[in-house]
Amino acid sequence: MSSKSSLISLRGLSRDFDGLRALGGIDLDVDRGETFGLIGPNGAGKTTLIRILTGLISPTKGEMLVEGKKLDPRHRAYRRRIGLVPQETALYGRLTAGENLVLLARLHGLDRGKAAFRAKELLAWAGLEEHADREARYLSRGMQQRLSLAMGMVHDPEIVFLDEPTSGLDPEARSRVWDLVEKLSGEGKTVFLATHNLEEADRLCDRLAILFRGEIREQGTPEQIKNLLGRDRLELGLAEGALGDLSEICGRLGLSWRKEGRIFVITGPDLPGKLPSLVSRLTGSLYHLHYREVTLEDAFLRFMKELEN
Amino acid sequence: MRGWRTLLAKDWKLIRRNRLLLSVLIVYPFLIMGVIGAAFQESGRPVPVGLVNLDDPGREGVLCVVLDSPDAGRTEGEVRRRAYGYGECTSEEQALADLEAGKFNLVIAREDGRVGGRRLYGALMDSESLQSLVMELEDSATEARFYTSFREAADSLAGMEGGVLLALPHRLHPSLGESLWVGGESYDALRLIREFSGDVVDLEIFPGLEEARGTLREGRVDAVVVLPPGFVHRLKTLEKVAEVNVILDQSNLVKAEFAETGIRGFFSRVTEEVVEEKMRAVVAGLYVLVSGGDFFGTPIIGLERIREDLADLYVALSDRPELGIKVQEGIDLADMVIEDIEKAADYLRGTALPVDLRISSVAGRPLAAKDAVVPALIVLSMLWTGVLCGAVLMVLEEEEGMRARLRLTPAGPLAMVTAKLILASGVVILQSLVMLLLAVAVFRTFASGLWISLLIIAVSSLSFIGIGQMLAAFARQVAGAVIMSVLVTFPLIFLTGAIFPLTQMPAFMRGIARASPPTYALDALSGVMLRGEGLAGVFWEIMVLLGFGATLLFAGSLLSGRKSQ
Ligand SMILES: Nc1ncnc2c1ncn2[C@@H]1O[C@H](COP(=O)(O)OP(=O)(O)O)[C@@H](O)[C@H]1O
Ligand SMILES: [Mg+2]
Repeated sequence: MSSKSSLISLRGLSRDFDGLRALGGIDLDVDRGETFGLIGPNGAGKTTLIRILTGLISPTKGEMLVEGKKLDPRHRAYRRRIGLVPQETALYGRLTAGENLVLLARLHGLDRGKAAFRAKELLAWAGLEEHADREARYLSRGMQQRLSLAMGMVHDPEIVFLDEPTSGLDPEARSRVWDLVEKLSGEGKTVFLATHNLEEADRLCDRLAILFRGEIREQGTPEQIKNLLGRDRLELGLAEGALGDLSEICGRLGLSWRKEGRIFVITGPDLPGKLPSLVSRLTGSLYHLHYREVTLEDAFLRFMKELEN
Repeated sequence: MRGWRTLLAKDWKLIRRNRLLLSVLIVYPFLIMGVIGAAFQESGRPVPVGLVNLDDPGREGVLCVVLDSPDAGRTEGEVRRRAYGYGECTSEEQALADLEAGKFNLVIAREDGRVGGRRLYGALMDSESLQSLVMELEDSATEARFYTSFREAADSLAGMEGGVLLALPHRLHPSLGESLWVGGESYDALRLIREFSGDVVDLEIFPGLEEARGTLREGRVDAVVVLPPGFVHRLKTLEKVAEVNVILDQSNLVKAEFAETGIRGFFSRVTEEVVEEKMRAVVAGLYVLVSGGDFFGTPIIGLERIREDLADLYVALSDRPELGIKVQEGIDLADMVIEDIEKAADYLRGTALPVDLRISSVAGRPLAAKDAVVPALIVLSMLWTGVLCGAVLMVLEEEEGMRARLRLTPAGPLAMVTAKLILASGVVILQSLVMLLLAVAVFRTFASGLWISLLIIAVSSLSFIGIGQMLAAFARQVAGAVIMSVLVTFPLIFLTGAIFPLTQMPAFMRGIARASPPTYALDALSGVMLRGEGLAGVFWEIMVLLGFGATLLFAGSLLSGRKSQ
């Protein structure tokens, strides 16, 4: 990890809420122009981290560096560079889509004419031109979320924080939001995306970190993470006493094993290719064998379960 | 502070487009004003009062008198001594039947602690003894209550320590149906009440207490007045006060209060007239004594004539000086007596009348109820709209999830709070102004000091909005903010003293009221609008309100800042 050229670096960042630890010692580097994904289940601390990164709350401990320099995220110059799309759809239901955008543009200091122009631009960007004059509360969830995204972009920020931008959307609406996020990345923006959806992270992110109970458990590219989680698995029923053999052969083949109830589960790279040598070593004590591919979602869920134990 | 105008325009747009909010915040107080204004428009109307006249000799049936603590033990002995027929009654029905059949003409019931129950017995005696006994008992009792139903009387006796119930044929009650003279005319009880109740109460006559009570219960009259038997007799003799029973519907305190005031008013008028009449008679008598003439049909010679005769005698006796001296003494005595009598008459004329309260207002002009209600109404609506506006506008950002977003703009939280404060106080001030103008123009109420009133309104709106903004820190949704505002607003309205006078509250509540901004707002506003005070007279209240406003607004922004952490 290239800490020298990192845009944002976090060092030992912690946050307590009334003595309860929401984040415990986060070290993280986000590079310029990349889309960085933060995955974790509900309550992992994703929103808390984003709120610290955007200066809405302060950390209990630790520091934040931007371009290598220590920085208070409440600083005005930094705020101008960041955009936030909060977790809950944040817009005024009784203002039209256009009015919502104009309002934020005006608050960011654009004059009337420029604000109107910027609003128009963003409506087109989010594919909402036809809905410019509808009150936002009458838009579909997907459209609202796209409007919310556009509202985070009025001042053309360089770093964009997206907090679960697709939660609660149907697949069609979700993929339209994904398109927008990809567009942002295409425009060279640094995107910090919090999600609990591995598929979304896999599709959008250059790098991922798994956040669990306020701690970063794994970091890497989506490929690395996926391999770590395992896309397939082998389930074995073994007689007593074969444990030594299993452990030995797995070590040799670079596989990992664990027990789930009475079943032994084997995961690791190129499982199908290693199947023959595995089986030949265990013949005699093997009474059940099942090979299955798993979805990313399942793999992630399982990983979470493992972390829990 | 940049961007506050944009934020203000946005907030106004949000209220305007939310019909429910618009009506709760702005329309509702006007609605209340319309209702209250219309209700007070005709205040001062006569109070409907039911009248039961027991001083009527023509009444049939049984009259029951419940006496509080006459000498109960003695009563029985007294009855026995005077009666020529006497006996226990087995039941109330039996007693009544005996009374109606003429077996007894007096039935007595009393709670007897020793027997652990009610003693009930009847007596037959001649009507003279009966009447003097009843009179004595009534006079010795601390309280007498009259009923036309034995049942009701018996009920009221229950649990009354030392109480005695007398039941007798109505016509046998002493001194019924007498008349007295006022201004040369004869009045019996009914006429007296009718004549003097005038525009204060609206009388409806009931034959019996039960009907009257029923009507009171139904709400068709606001009170029932029971004229006791011998009412006029008592007025005439002035030996003992005439006890008039007034039954009020105290389930509605305000109604009861109105009725009581009206009834007191007209009874004081009655007694005033009667006393005045008596005084006039006495004074007239004294003058007749001096100058001679006709005193109620009796010719009186008069002291002056006697003195003149003595003077003549003195002249005639000029040759008998030893007698002349005696006559001279007589003349001197007559002069002295005449002078004293004239002095006494003057004294009576000058001082004997009962006190007459002439109510006037510190405003220097009389105020009607509808005038007095305007400041309270304005404070009430200001409190309502101010607290709600303050709370709702803040929580709106929360509910829409826009708080974080706004905080990241260069506009900043101060601009947000300021915009809301300006909008809310604008709404409050405008609303109060319209109300004020409506009150003066449409309801024709009196109000002075418009400019100072506006100043007070503006200053107090800050506190009210501050309360709202503080509440907002404890709500995350508009609905919650509204509920909290209502919860807080109502006790504060009560504490202003507009509904219940502050001086009648216990000390700790007065303490709370002193710490509540609406109290000062109402005080200042009524001072200016009704008592005609100037700026100096309400300077203290304005300062206190400013202090409250600053403190509450500061606390509100502090709390809402803490909430977003
Ligand atoms: N304002 C707060 N006060 C108290 N606890 C909080 C607050 N915000 C978040 N938490 C707690 O911190 C933990 C992380 O929450 P959050 O960052 O919202 O998780 P995520 O966004 O990953 O779902 C949770 O246990 C949550 O209950
Ligand atoms: Mg979250």
